[in-house]
Amino acid sequence: MTTTFDRLCAILARDYPLQPAQLTPDAPLESLGIDSLGVAELLFNVEDAFGIALPAQPVALQTVGDVARFIDSLIAARAGAAAGQAQGQTGGQEETPDAPAQPLAALAPVPAGAAALP
Amino acid sequence: MRRVAVTGIGVVSPLGQSAAEAFEAARAGRSAIGLVQAPFAHRLAAPLAASVRFNGAEHFEAPRLRMLDRASQFALVASSQALRDASVRLSGDEHERTGVFVGTGMGGINSIDEGYQTLYGQESDRIKPFMVLMGMHNAPAAWIAIEHGLTGPNLTYSTACSSSAVAIGEAWARIARGELALALAGGTEAPLSFGSMKAWEALRTVAAIDERDPSASCKPFSADRSGMVLGEGAAMLVLEDWERATARGAFIHGELAGYGLYTDTGHITRPSVQGQAAAMRAALRSAGIEAEEVDAINAHGTGTQANDGVETAAIKAVFGARAGRIPISATKALHGHLLGATSALELVLSLMAMQHAVALPTLHLAQADPQCDLDYVPNVSREGVQARTMLSSSFAFGGTNAVLAVRAAP
Repeated sequence: MTTTFDRLCAILARDYPLQPAQLTPDAPLESLGIDSLGVAELLFNVEDAFGIALPAQPVALQTVGDVARFIDSLIAARAGAAAGQAQGQTGGQEETPDAPAQPLAALAPVPAGAAALP
Repeated sequence: MRRVAVTGIGVVSPLGQSAAEAFEAARAGRSAIGLVQAPFAHRLAAPLAASVRFNGAEHFEAPRLRMLDRASQFALVASSQALRDASVRLSGDEHERTGVFVGTGMGGINSIDEGYQTLYGQESDRIKPFMVLMGMHNAPAAWIAIEHGLTGPNLTYSTACSSSAVAIGEAWARIARGELALALAGGTEAPLSFGSMKAWEALRTVAAIDERDPSASCKPFSADRSGMVLGEGAAMLVLEDWERATARGAFIHGELAGYGLYTDTGHITRPSVQGQAAAMRAALRSAGIEAEEVDAINAHGTGTQANDGVETAAIKAVFGARAGRIPISATKALHGHLLGATSALELVLSLMAMQHAVALPTLHLAQADPQCDLDYVPNVSREGVQARTMLSSSFAFGGTNAVLAVRAAP
């Protein structure tokens, strides 16, 4: 089964292009040549690939693993919202993503892309 | 006023990837104009262009390349070449006393075209995040400053076909006034997107295909001329305070001696004899030289019906009876019209021509036009022409006529 991390790595390998050996969960994005502005572009492509929409509030994503967990949290939130809608109440715990989602709160909100903009 | 030396040259052009390569191709009369290979070629009435053999991935890491429009890629490569050629080291406050002056007519038009293709062609709202950064006209100048840590004035000029003459001239003025020690000045253009090429086609200024030889489609000063051919590329020069350059024993390609501007106000596109002549006279005044001292001219010479006759009359107005004895080169037949980068490339070719004592040819001049009866160095270059002083002319849509005056190195 293809995990979120694998799918993310496929995007990175295609667009940047990076070798599989460089793509570990704790690899800092900066070390791969992807700065805060680069993350903004990466997330744009992630939105398309995973069919998710990013929240307006930017989050700090330091590593490849951070991005994968962030994607999972958004997939989970989307599934939760869908399930909640279907049942008329909140829920959605039954549809767990591939990797355990780190709570969004653990990712301190910072103006990631915005920091580089005037 | 202080004197200004050209101590470094960088070129990414249809004629070659360095000043030497471009000059040798020009000297040999090898036209870089050819048929467009892009997928949209069949939708162009005359699919002609002078394109650069260039792969950005050979020059930039992928994450950076994703942020660089083709125009910025050209400008960065040409700038690095020019700085290497100048072998210049900045010390003390010299990073602040070095400016970047770039001319571009169409900026990041490839990126803008691609963004609009998403919106209008694919009817998707998913424009890529970097379109603003890649499309903005000042991106090439900004990237050059970032790459080399140049914290002086960072200025972009967009005056259509004279953009890079203006950029070089304005940089010259700041060094001549003692405000700057050095400048990277020139132009960049990457206008071979589908939208841009159709727009130029619609204006009816581009050449029809020469069916026998597409590379001969641009025919400046020839009676059968039918228009210009778009080209792409960049040329950047290191301009340096003369005393600084000589003190460090730098190789001097030539002296930028002056710069004249005159604005044609009669019409947005139609050139005037009076306006072109006034710009040439302004350059002579700026350089403090007499018309008699000009040994050769790099003409604007677009190959359009409108320009070439007018330019001939303007040269006669300035140089009188001597006009017929001045070798005039229209090198756009070789490298195409690089719009905002063309003046810089033509200035480079002029400097190289003086260094090598050669007058570059005006190719494909097969049919004499009674209106164009000067010495255009037809078809083959002329060796042994030792010009000491040259003018390089650029006359623009919008009316900003700019002429640069250069002297051979002593």
